[in-house]
Amino acid sequence: MKKFRISPPLAALILAIVLFLLSGLLPNGYGSDVDVAIAQATNILRLSVFLGVIAAGQTLVIISGSEGIDLSAGSVVTLSAILTYVMVSGQNDKVLLALLVALIVGAIIGFLNGVGVTFLKISPFVMTLGMSGVVTGLIIIINHGNVSGKVAPIMTQLIARPLVFGIPGAIIIWAIFGTLMWLLLERTTFGKNLFAIGVNRTTAKLSGVNVTWMNLAAYSLAGALAGFGGFLVVGNTGVVFIALGQPFLFPSIAAVAVGGTLLSGGKGSYWGTMAGAIVLTLITSLLTTMQMPESVRRMVLGGTLLLLVSIYGRQKALRQ
Amino acid sequence: MRRSPWESWLAKYPALFAMIFLVIAISVNLILQPNLFEGDTLNSNMRVFLPMIILAVGQAVVILSGGIDISVGGIVSIVNAILATRVGLEGSPEKMWQFVFISILVGVGAGALNGFFISVLRLQPIITTYASGFLFAGIALFILPQPGGGIPSDISALYRTTRPLGLPLAFYIIGVLLLAWWYIRSSRYGRFIYAVGGKAEAAYETAVPVTLVQFSTYVISGLMAALSGIAITMLVGSGNAEIGSQMTLNSITAVVIGGTAMSGGIGGVVGPIIGAITLGLIQNIISFANIDTWWTTFVNASIIVAALAAPGLVSLFGRRRS
Amino acid sequence: MTLSAQNIIKRYGGVVALSDGNLDVFPGEVVALIGANGSGKSTLSKVINGVVVLDGGQLLLDEKPVNFSSPQAAKDLGISTVFQELSLIPQMSVAENIWLAREPLLVGGLVNKKAVWSQTEELLSLFEGTYKSKLKPDSVVGSLPPDEKQIIEILKAVSFNPRILILDEATASLDSRQVQRLFELVQKWKQEGKAIVFISHRMEEIFQIADRYSVLRNGKTVGAGLMSDINERALVNLMIEEASVFNHARKNQASLDAANKDVLLNIEDLKTDVLKGVSLSLREGELLGIGGLMGQGQRDLLLALFGDIPHSGKISLKGKLVHFHHPKDAIKQEIALVPGDRAKEGLLYIRSILENMLLPSWREYGFPLRIRSAQKDATRVSSSLSLKMSGLDAPVSSLSGGNAQKVVIGKWLKRKPQLLLLDDPTKGVDVGTKAEFYNLLTQLCEEGKTIIFYSSDDEELIGLCDRVLVMHDGVIRTELSGEKLNKQNLIAASLGSVNGSEL
Repeated sequence: MKKFRISPPLAALILAIVLFLLSGLLPNGYGSDVDVAIAQATNILRLSVFLGVIAAGQTLVIISGSEGIDLSAGSVVTLSAILTYVMVSGQNDKVLLALLVALIVGAIIGFLNGVGVTFLKISPFVMTLGMSGVVTGLIIIINHGNVSGKVAPIMTQLIARPLVFGIPGAIIIWAIFGTLMWLLLERTTFGKNLFAIGVNRTTAKLSGVNVTWMNLAAYSLAGALAGFGGFLVVGNTGVVFIALGQPFLFPSIAAVAVGGTLLSGGKGSYWGTMAGAIVLTLITSLLTTMQMPESVRRMVLGGTLLLLVSIYGRQKALRQ
Repeated sequence: MRRSPWESWLAKYPALFAMIFLVIAISVNLILQPNLFEGDTLNSNMRVFLPMIILAVGQAVVILSGGIDISVGGIVSIVNAILATRVGLEGSPEKMWQFVFISILVGVGAGALNGFFISVLRLQPIITTYASGFLFAGIALFILPQPGGGIPSDISALYRTTRPLGLPLAFYIIGVLLLAWWYIRSSRYGRFIYAVGGKAEAAYETAVPVTLVQFSTYVISGLMAALSGIAITMLVGSGNAEIGSQMTLNSITAVVIGGTAMSGGIGGVVGPIIGAITLGLIQNIISFANIDTWWTTFVNASIIVAALAAPGLVSLFGRRRS
Repeated sequence: MTLSAQNIIKRYGGVVALSDGNLDVFPGEVVALIGANGSGKSTLSKVINGVVVLDGGQLLLDEKPVNFSSPQAAKDLGISTVFQELSLIPQMSVAENIWLAREPLLVGGLVNKKAVWSQTEELLSLFEGTYKSKLKPDSVVGSLPPDEKQIIEILKAVSFNPRILILDEATASLDSRQVQRLFELVQKWKQEGKAIVFISHRMEEIFQIADRYSVLRNGKTVGAGLMSDINERALVNLMIEEASVFNHARKNQASLDAANKDVLLNIEDLKTDVLKGVSLSLREGELLGIGGLMGQGQRDLLLALFGDIPHSGKISLKGKLVHFHHPKDAIKQEIALVPGDRAKEGLLYIRSILENMLLPSWREYGFPLRIRSAQKDATRVSSSLSLKMSGLDAPVSSLSGGNAQKVVIGKWLKRKPQLLLLDDPTKGVDVGTKAEFYNLLTQLCEEGKTIIFYSSDDEELIGLCDRVLVMHDGVIRTELSGEKLNKQNLIAASLGSVNGSEL
């Protein structure tokens, strides 16, 4: 089988387009109505923003290698959503403060993950899974039944409604966010070092990279980005509940994988993750349109990730 | 090879760490529940702990050989869903046995699937079993979309009250597991498991059939998960597709505090069994300690994280000293 | 059983490891396979025990051609090799390791623990009296010192009751008592009709134990015969090449200049896990060589200097006391380290040439990183090293060994370090690239840079360095310079002769 040299992000984008075109053929689809198609495409894109931002942190820790992963992302999203909801209470002038709190709380949780992974040598999977439980526990304590709060109008305006040329604010935010992520990964020393530790920590250390610090920074940043994700999600939905962030967790990992970032670390891009997020949002939306239950969604997602890993993730054979 | 002081110590006394935890847990539990060792209480506790004990045994075998199985919770859920829907509250004992048998096949099949991906295709265990676990959870939800169904009440009653010779049924099952493990440990196959978990390349050089060994450990894990699913269904009596979701992390924690290192090749199955009992006792302690309901999840999760951190802390402390 | 390797050819990618390897093994005798590093002797032994497949020539077992399909096949035919503890599982016990996959079984598939214990004890008793600790069948291998691990490897190979036993540098980690015991056992095995292939550097031992010899040089067998017909000097002469590609003139000039320069680096009593107290002094512009058999602490010396491993002792750089806790501290002081294993320590294989070269230096390119500027600098360094690549964005995995090593060197040269530490940099590099590399080093010294150069290749040390410090067992044994720095003395010093006197 000849290997075609398409970059994975491009392949993901093509896949997204194909899926979208297929969705048009469905009974509830747009058929040949271009206006409806554009409206639906815009909506899919808008919905992808939230998964995309949440998967950004995931991208960072996966690139950092050593089986990096962040399973606490889902619960951090919920926690920061709740904190935002409560702090803002419908007032525009509290928004910035709430955003800051969301970022900081996420960063702290991420930092704790980093400490466990780096100093206590706990595998990232187990550490972040454990942390996710702790954060969920915190959420229950805060949630004590129901929280009262409200999203500020400016948030709804920026995130849920069209902003410029009929393009929803969320998409514009994502575009800016994507550019910043690209800058971080490809145009800063941090980014270069992140890839380096993902490939080979020994080489990195012997080239002057402070691996410990980078690890802590990667997980802290991932936590902060999940916090940002939670802020955006609550701005979109306007409500909070305990399972708010959970549906984003598995897809965030799948999105990173679809986008071509090596799950073993050291190679990848955020553009890929963005394309992956769109693909995954499309899949979910297609399943919803076809009125498939949650169980089918899980089966499809699980199966998709297995397939991806089988293609991209094979390790060296024992006999060399 | 530089081993952490934790690992050197563990190699000599793997179950000791678990024993210490157990003794502490028993002591605290005794204070809060003085009739802990009385027949009824003991039986009641042991049958609640049994599903986790069985699960921890399977997880221990996989971890010993250098892998990990994140999909066990999903398999438990599938088995629970199958029994709850196919046997139902009005089912007959024959049906029960029939579907118990099918559940075991399902567990073995799921384990084989994992084994295929990991040992034949050489995929990473963590991400593979995470994905398959999600898939299994979806299948469970498909079979049983809403909590409901169940097994005949006289069968669960049987599970509840059976006390051969006055001892809890759980003791006998643990006994069988220990016997099976003893047999494995004393066979060539058992040594294969430790060899592959210790240093797979060296094992390969020494003509150990690494692929086969790894594959088999996932099949064992799947089998144990199925048995655990049967046990928990008999305990609870009804069906819930999310029943297994919390169990995965607990099974890993039980193995860790049981002194079986996550790196493989060190420890055994006795430690994780003790670890599972300890975790169960901790649950007891929490419910008896009259902690505010809102706080239970947080406290539970924090204890798990603390337990997972313990080996690392011991190592860190040991390193500082030297 | 006789084994005959005839005209063996073996290539690894583009590098020819063996072009004419020969060895005859007869029952009841010990044949020594001798050669310098890179001569091909480890490759030849790997062909004989089935670990690698030969590309040309033939293997004859009892006069019949044979083809080993796997290391296991060779074992089944009676050829057993003692590795350098590659095949032991650290978490398992001595007995478990020796009998892995061959455990005597009882009815029902259970391992016969009694038999395992007693058979292991029998094996252990072979080295009775030479153990430092109480070695029992249930001792965990991971906690054993290197010499006892090596003994377990020997016992494991012997437990197969082989017809041919290959001892590949098996005495490297053993102390003298253990070596003597091994030789007593070898005599016994000879009487039992076993054949022993003894691969070693150590002249003393070779003359003590071997009956015949076979010498490899640059992949070719250059001499074979009876040990009784040859002496040490003649053997050494067979091992080393006459021609030299080095510029000796430069050496004399440099040693005249050196005395006038300032002291750049002074080390007093440097200790690590392996180093037992190393002291040395280095002047600007010097090309200091570190020699000796592999694993004597040379690497630790370089790593400690670079701040990669914990160490104690006094290190002063240009008169100021320094203690580096991390390579980045050393890098800030303009020190660079070219590591020994470029795949595992020097390169990021899946990343681009540009990223590899700029890895320690990105901070100098501002935010956002001025990639254009970085590309310019990388191109400049690459062309000064004559790096053959398809482009800066190509992954390093696309380069040949020599060019990949140039990337590692380029990474550091770009920073214009004042002290360059080299950990066996020309291992696995072709001759052409080696020559370019030597010129580069000479040039750097002329520019006033200082170099500490560890090499396992004695030719290089003699040809390039002003002084060579020969290390043994964690300390500096001998210093050779000027007239004394010649092939015979260097080899003699590495092999155990104490004061580097002429043979």
